[in-house]
Amino acid sequence: MTGLLHGVMRSFRARRQGMGSLLMSSALAVGLAGPVFGQQQEDYQDSGMALLRSMRDAARNLDYVGVYTYQQGAVMQSSRIVHIIDGTGERERIESLDGLAREFIRHNETTHRLIPEKKTIIVEQRRGDRFPAFLLGEADQIPQHYAIRIGKYPDRVAGRPCTVLELVPKDVYRYGYRICVDLEHAVLLKAQTLNRRQVINQIAFAMLDVGAKVAPEQLNSNWNTSGWKKQDALLSEVDLASEGWRISFPPGFHPLTQVTRSMSAGKEVDQLVLSDGLAAISIFIESFDPNRDNPFSKEVMHKGAMSIVRKRIGDHWFTALGEVPADTLREIAERTQYVPSSVN
Amino acid sequence: MHAGKPTSEDQDIQSWEATVSAWMDGEDEIRPEDLDSPYGRQLWDTYHLVGDVLRSDDLAIKPSDLFYARLSKAIDEEPPLVASRALKRYVNWRMGLSGLAVAAAVSSIVWVSLPYLTGPESIPTVAPQVVVAVADDAGVWDYLEAHSQIAGSGALPVTRPVSFETGGGR
Repeated sequence: MTGLLHGVMRSFRARRQGMGSLLMSSALAVGLAGPVFGQQQEDYQDSGMALLRSMRDAARNLDYVGVYTYQQGAVMQSSRIVHIIDGTGERERIESLDGLAREFIRHNETTHRLIPEKKTIIVEQRRGDRFPAFLLGEADQIPQHYAIRIGKYPDRVAGRPCTVLELVPKDVYRYGYRICVDLEHAVLLKAQTLNRRQVINQIAFAMLDVGAKVAPEQLNSNWNTSGWKKQDALLSEVDLASEGWRISFPPGFHPLTQVTRSMSAGKEVDQLVLSDGLAAISIFIESFDPNRDNPFSKEVMHKGAMSIVRKRIGDHWFTALGEVPADTLREIAERTQYVPSSVN
Repeated sequence: MHAGKPTSEDQDIQSWEATVSAWMDGEDEIRPEDLDSPYGRQLWDTYHLVGDVLRSDDLAIKPSDLFYARLSKAIDEEPPLVASRALKRYVNWRMGLSGLAVAAAVSSIVWVSLPYLTGPESIPTVAPQVVVAVADDAGVWDYLEAHSQIAGSGALPVTRPVSFETGGGR
């Protein structure tokens, strides 16, 4: 078998030499086609961005009910979403259909997170956009960091024709995305995260109804929550820079928010969220306590698109995680410095 | 597949194959009737399949993700013949090289391997892919949940703790 492999490889090499002139001529052809192609790219950026924005508006302004499935490796999880605009604004209910029962009931900026096994409702003052929302914060800089390609032919997801859009990263700091956007209503129907050409996770509607079919009763929770504990998520604004943290952001990533929150273990953690408009990174900083902290055994972890990097910086635990390559997080961790001001 | 020095028979086969390859490239001479053997015909077909695939992606078989997974698992299991079974059980997470990195490396050689996987007898029998779970750590989940509360638009499951594999790369 080794012999045959050798033969094939030899044949491959010989052919490659023969292909030299072919490569030359195709390089010439690309060179000639360059300006035309460049112009097309510009157009795609504009129409692509327009489509992304109408997608964001559709997720916020339309009435819809659907079931979507998230898949990563062997993990699959479906959720039902109901989204309705009424006289008071935006109402949304997301209910997990597999595994632990969870519900997110949102009215404009207030989200109630139902945790049935603890009979607890956690109240957050935050909209927390989830699928089918896709853009994060001001998304104007997306074209600087992703090439946008629009598929010539529509695809079909959840029985609906949709436009294929590819967001190809221009550097190694982020993953790519392939998405499909409903032709009729511009709702995001499917999103795949790509590491080079490989799908590392995906989320898609299996069914979706838009418009009149959506009944407001579908917003009612499955649970009778009378007597449940109601708990405010303790989030307060914080300024990590003024506390002496010099955090270097990867190219194109900007801070979305920074807060102090209490985790379930009872500890206080500072959280800084960065985004390039599509990908998000959270940086957590907390004081390191060798007696309490017995965190993960390894410094770098990843699963599908999600990576986690941990590092001890002085007396602090620095944790960076997000849907970006682990090297992006490692670079943040390596470059971050803590320089507490000597005055305090 | 041979660890030691190639036998003279191996060298003969190798040089004959090299000659066939060169002949197909118009650089050497053989007696074409020598190809009229089961092995010769297989060689001939394989060379042409490789050539066709190189010329047109449409002719290539697109392996499924499961195929990559099986192949990377098979590669994982192949080399450390020196390691005893008992030792191997403790080294069941991949050190340093992540599954994706393996799959990426595999994808570049997969066209070479394809011709050998066409017959049913040559499909490697590999145990189902084992998800490398290191930490179903509630601590990890806290951070993931905190992340998705603010940046939840990413495709993160809303409830299920994910298990992580450790490693140096992507």
